[in-house]
Amino acid sequence: MTPAETTTSSGALLVLAILLPSAGILASFALGGRNAERIALGSAPLALAIALSVLAEVWRAGRPIVYAIAGLSPPLGIALRADGISAVMLVTSALIIPAAGLYARAGFATPPAERESRKAFTFWIMLQAISAALAIIFVSGDLFNLYVALELLTFAALPLACVEGRAETFAAALRYLLFALFGSIFYLLGAALLYGAFGTLDIALLAERMRPLPAVTAAAALMSAGLLAKTALFPLHLWLPPAHANAPAPASAVLSGLVVKGSFFLTLRLWFYVLPALPAVGFDAILGALGSGAVVFGSVLALMQPRLKLLIAYSTIAQIGYLFLIFPLGSGLHAWTADGWNGGLMQVLAHAFAKAAMFLAAGVLYESLGHDKIAKFSGAAKAMPMTFLTLGLGGLSLMGLPPSGGFAAKWLLLRASVASGQWVWALVLLVGGLLAAGYVYRILAPALSSDPVALKAPPRRAGEAIALSLALVAVVLGFAPESFFQLLDIGRPALATAGLP
Amino acid sequence: MTAFGPIFPAATLAVPTAFLVAVFFPRLRDSALALQWVAPIPALAAAIFALACGPFALDAPALKLSLWLDLPTALLLAVSALLWIAVGAGAFFDRVERPEPRAAVSWLLTMIGSLGVFVADDLLSFYLVYALVSIPAYGMFAFDPSPGTARAGRVTMAFAILGEAFLLFAFGMLAAGEPHGSLRIPDVVAALPGSPWRDAALALLVAGFGAKMGLVPLNGWTPLSYAATRIPAAAVLSGAGVKAGVIGLIRFLPLGVPMAGWGEALAVLGFATAFYGVAIGVTQQNPKAVLAYSSMSQMGVIAAALGMALAAGDANAPALVACYAANHVLVKGALFLAVGAFAARGVRPGAWSLIALVLALSLAGLPLTGGALAKAASKPLFGYGVAAALAAASSAGSALLMVHFVSRLPFSWRFDATASPVRLVRSWPWFAGAALLLPYVLFPLVGSFGDALSPSKLWDALWPILVGGLLAVWLARVADRLPRIPPGDMIVFGEAAFDRCLASATLFDRIDLAFRGWPAAGLALLAIALALAYATANAG
Amino acid sequence: MSPPIIAGFVGAGLVGLGLYALIVNPEPLKKLLAFNLIGSGVFLVFGIVARRGAVGVFPFDPVPQAMVITGIVVAFAASALAVALMLRLAEESGRVTLDPDAWTKPDDGAEGP
Repeated sequence: MTPAETTTSSGALLVLAILLPSAGILASFALGGRNAERIALGSAPLALAIALSVLAEVWRAGRPIVYAIAGLSPPLGIALRADGISAVMLVTSALIIPAAGLYARAGFATPPAERESRKAFTFWIMLQAISAALAIIFVSGDLFNLYVALELLTFAALPLACVEGRAETFAAALRYLLFALFGSIFYLLGAALLYGAFGTLDIALLAERMRPLPAVTAAAALMSAGLLAKTALFPLHLWLPPAHANAPAPASAVLSGLVVKGSFFLTLRLWFYVLPALPAVGFDAILGALGSGAVVFGSVLALMQPRLKLLIAYSTIAQIGYLFLIFPLGSGLHAWTADGWNGGLMQVLAHAFAKAAMFLAAGVLYESLGHDKIAKFSGAAKAMPMTFLTLGLGGLSLMGLPPSGGFAAKWLLLRASVASGQWVWALVLLVGGLLAAGYVYRILAPALSSDPVALKAPPRRAGEAIALSLALVAVVLGFAPESFFQLLDIGRPALATAGLP
Repeated sequence: MTAFGPIFPAATLAVPTAFLVAVFFPRLRDSALALQWVAPIPALAAAIFALACGPFALDAPALKLSLWLDLPTALLLAVSALLWIAVGAGAFFDRVERPEPRAAVSWLLTMIGSLGVFVADDLLSFYLVYALVSIPAYGMFAFDPSPGTARAGRVTMAFAILGEAFLLFAFGMLAAGEPHGSLRIPDVVAALPGSPWRDAALALLVAGFGAKMGLVPLNGWTPLSYAATRIPAAAVLSGAGVKAGVIGLIRFLPLGVPMAGWGEALAVLGFATAFYGVAIGVTQQNPKAVLAYSSMSQMGVIAAALGMALAAGDANAPALVACYAANHVLVKGALFLAVGAFAARGVRPGAWSLIALVLALSLAGLPLTGGALAKAASKPLFGYGVAAALAAASSAGSALLMVHFVSRLPFSWRFDATASPVRLVRSWPWFAGAALLLPYVLFPLVGSFGDALSPSKLWDALWPILVGGLLAVWLARVADRLPRIPPGDMIVFGEAAFDRCLASATLFDRIDLAFRGWPAAGLALLAIALALAYATANAG
Repeated sequence: MSPPIIAGFVGAGLVGLGLYALIVNPEPLKKLLAFNLIGSGVFLVFGIVARRGAVGVFPFDPVPQAMVITGIVVAFAASALAVALMLRLAEESGRVTLDPDAWTKPDDGAEGP
C-alpha cells in the first residue's frame, strides 16, 4: 500500500465534513417545519470549524490527508483525499453557503402562521445538500464516487434555481437538468472505459497505471466534454444565464459561486491528477481556446444586457473562461507552472466570493428598487451606498484591478503566460479586463449621478452587510501571503512526479 | 535621525489613508474633511528629509511592499505635496463650498495614489498606487457634475483603463525578465536591457505612461478632462496627477544604458506631441482647454528629454527631468487657479493680468523666473544639434500658446466648470509667487546658479519668448481664420471607431442566439469531445 | 463475434441513437427518454467491463455491477426529477418547451428576483 492510500491521522475530519450536512438533511426531514432552517444555519459554524481544521491539518502535515473508508484501501475501497486545494475549497464553501443562508433568512423563513412551507423547507434542505455534495467533490478520491457527488450537486442545485415556482424558472431548470444529464452521462461512459482499461477508478492508482490507450483517449475526451457542459464553458453555456438570472438571489450566489466550481474542480482532478502522464499538449490549447472564447464572448454579451442579474450571469460565463487558462499555463513541470496553477486557483476563489457578493447585492437592489433594469439606476448609488460599494468591490475583482484577489490571479497568470511564451493568453487576460471594466462601468456610472431615485423599500441592512463582507473577502484575497500559495501546492501531482512531497 | 527615516515614506501613505477611513465615520467626517489638507504634510516632510539627507528606503517583505525616496522622486513628491496641501486647504476649508463626502473620498484616494507613485518601489505597489491616481479620479467627474462631465468621464476612464492594461502587460514582461524573481523596480529595470522581451516591454511602458501624460496619439482625453472638472480638481490632476506618468518613465526607462533606436523614437514622439499641443492649443477658446494642450506640449518636451537621455545612456537625467517637471507642477497648478480667479472677478487689467502673463511665460522659460531655471536644468539633455533647436522652437511655441492663454483669461467666466472656491480666488497671486520663486530653492540640488544665470543663458532663454510673442501678435490678427477644433481633437475619431465596435457586438448576440438552441449546443458538445480525443490521440 | 463484442456494438448503437434523439428532438420528454437510452448503452458497456474482468471463480467483476446499480438509481432519480419539472411546467404554463425565446423576456425587468 502506497502512502497515498492509507488513512492518515485526523483523516476522520474528512468524513465529518461530509457527514455533517448529510446528517443535517436527514434531521431536517425528520424534524420538519422550521427546524430545517435552524439546523441549516446552526450547523454552519460547525462546518466552518471542520473545514478550518482540515486546512490546518493539511498545512501542518505538508501532505494530503487520507481516509480509507471502512479501512479498505483502494482498489477495493474508496479513499477520501484532501490536499491543499481541497482544503481551501472546503473553507470557501463553508463561508459562502452560510452567507447565502443568512441572507435568505428574510425571504425563505417559514411564515409564522404555518407549520411548514414547501418553499422554505425545500430551500434549507437543498442548501445543505449542496454543502454535502461539494464536500464529497472536494475530498473524494474515486471517480465514480465523484460522479455520484456531481449528480447530487445538480439535483440539489435545481430546486434552488426554481424554488420560486414560476414558469420561466421551471423552464430554465429543465434545460439545466437535461443539459447537465447530457454531460454527466458522458462522464459515466468515460468512467466505464477507464475502469475497463485499468480495473480501478481511484485517482492515485489510475495516475500510477496510466498509459496511452485508445480507451483512455476516448474516456478523457468524453469525461472532459461532459464536465465542460456542466461548467457552462462557451459554447456549452446555454443553460447558465436563464438559470442563474431567474433564481432568487441567495440561490444565484451559490450557483455561480460554488456549483459551477464543483465541476471545474473535477476537470482539474481529471487532467492534473489522473491524466498528467499522458503526453497531450493539444488539449491544453483547446481548453485554453475555449476559455478565451468564453472570456470575450461572455464579456461582450454582458455589455449588452439590460438587466443586472443577466449581466452578472454572463459575467460568470466570462470569468469561467479565465479558469480554463490554468490548463495551458499550469500543466507540466516548468518554471512558470507554479504561477499558472496558483493563478488559476486564486481566480476560482476570488470569483467565488466576488460573484456571490454581486448576486446578493443585486438581490438587495431588486428588493429596494423593485426592478433591476440598469437603465433606470440613475442616482441609486446615493440611496443605497453600501450596495453599490459591494458591486464596485466585486467589480474590482472581476476587472482584475489591485487590490483584489482577481488582480492577484491575473498577475500570476500573466506572468506565467509571458514566461512560457504563450502570449495569446496574456492578450486574452488584458482584453478580458478591458471588457470587464466596460460592463462594471455600465453598472456603476449611471448610479453615481445625483438624480433623485424612488425607492420601493429601504435597503435591507443585513443583506447589504453580508454581501459587503463577501466582497471584502475577495479584496483581502489580493493580499494572500506566500504561504497561501505554498498551501495550494500541497499535493500537486506535478511536484509528486518530480519526487517532491 | 536616519533611524526614523523610513517612517516618513510609510507615513506618506498611511496618513492620507487614515483620513480616508475617518471620512466613513459620521462623527469624524467634518473634522476629517476640514483638515484633509494636513494629510499630505508627512509626504512633504518625507520629501524634504530625502532632499536634505539623501535617499532612503523602506522594505517590508511581509507586506510585499518596498518604498524608496531619492532626489528625483523627492523633488516631485515635495512639489506635489505642496500643491495638494495648498489647493486642498482652499477647496475644503469653507463648509459651504466643500465638495460632498463622495467627491472627498475620490479626492483622498487620488491623493494617496498621486503621492504614492513617488515612493513605491516594487511593481505591484506601484501598479496599485498608479491605479489609485487614475481610477478614483472618476469621482471628481461623477459627483461634481457640469455639462460635458459624462462624456469627459467616459473618455478619461477609457484611456485610464487602457493605460493600465498596457502597463500590466509591461510589468508582466518586466517581472518575467528578472532572473531572481525580485519585483523591485531597480532590479527589473536593470534586467530590462538584456531581457528577451525588451522591445515589447519598452513599447508598452511608453504607451502606458504616455496615455497618462497625454502623448500623441493617446492625448484626446486631456483637454476634455480638464475642461470638464472644477478648478481645484483640474489643478491637482494636471499638476500632480499627470506626473505619475512622468515618474513612471523616469523610473522604468533604463537610462543608464544607451539605446539609440528607442531613445530617438521617444524623442520624436515627444517633440511631435510638443508641437501638436501648440498647434491645436492656439485654436482653442476655452482657457482650460488651452492649459490642457499646454500640459500636453510640456509632457512632450519631457518625453523628448528622456528620449535623448535614453539614446545617450545618460544616468543623470532623472534629476534634471524631475526638476523640469517639478516646475511644471507648480506653474500649471497656479495657472488653473488663475482661470478660477479670473472667472470670478471678471477682467482685471493691471496687477492680475501682469502676474498671469509672467507666470504663463515662465512655463516657456522667461528669464529670471523659476521656469527659466527649469529650462536651464533640462538644456544639457538636448545637446547641441537638432534636438536643441527643436527644444528652443518648442519654447517659442510655448510662449505663443501662453500669450494666447493670457488673452483668453478674461473670458473664463463664459465657460463651464470655472467656478473656484473663494479662498483660492483670493490667494492665487501668492500661488503664482510661490510657483515663480520655489524653483530657486530646488534648483541648487541639480545645477549651479552661476551657470544658469549667466548672460548667454539669459539670452538663450529670452529669444524664444520674443519669437513666441511676435507669433502671438500675428496669431491675434488671423484669429478668425483659424479652424474651430473641438477640445479633444482626435477623440472624435476614437469615439466613432468605438461606436462601430459596439455595432459589431450584435454579431456576438447572434452567436449566443445560435448556441442557445439545443442542436447547436449539443453538436458543440460532441465536437469538443471529438476534438479533445483527436488532440489526445495525436500527441501520444 | 463473442458476446462482449456484440454487446459492445449494441451499447454503442444505443448511445448513438440516444445522442441523435437528444440533440435533434425538441421535446423535453423525448430528450429524457433519449437520456435513458444513452444510459442503457452505458450500463451495457459496464456489463461488458464486468464480464471482461472475470477473475478466478467469479465469472463477473462485481464492482462494475455495483456501479451499474448505482447508475440506475441515479438515472431513475434524474428521470423522476425531470418528469416532475415537466409536470409543474405544464401546470404553470400549459406548454412544455425548451425553446429559449418562449421564456426569456430580456427587456422586462419587472420579472425575476
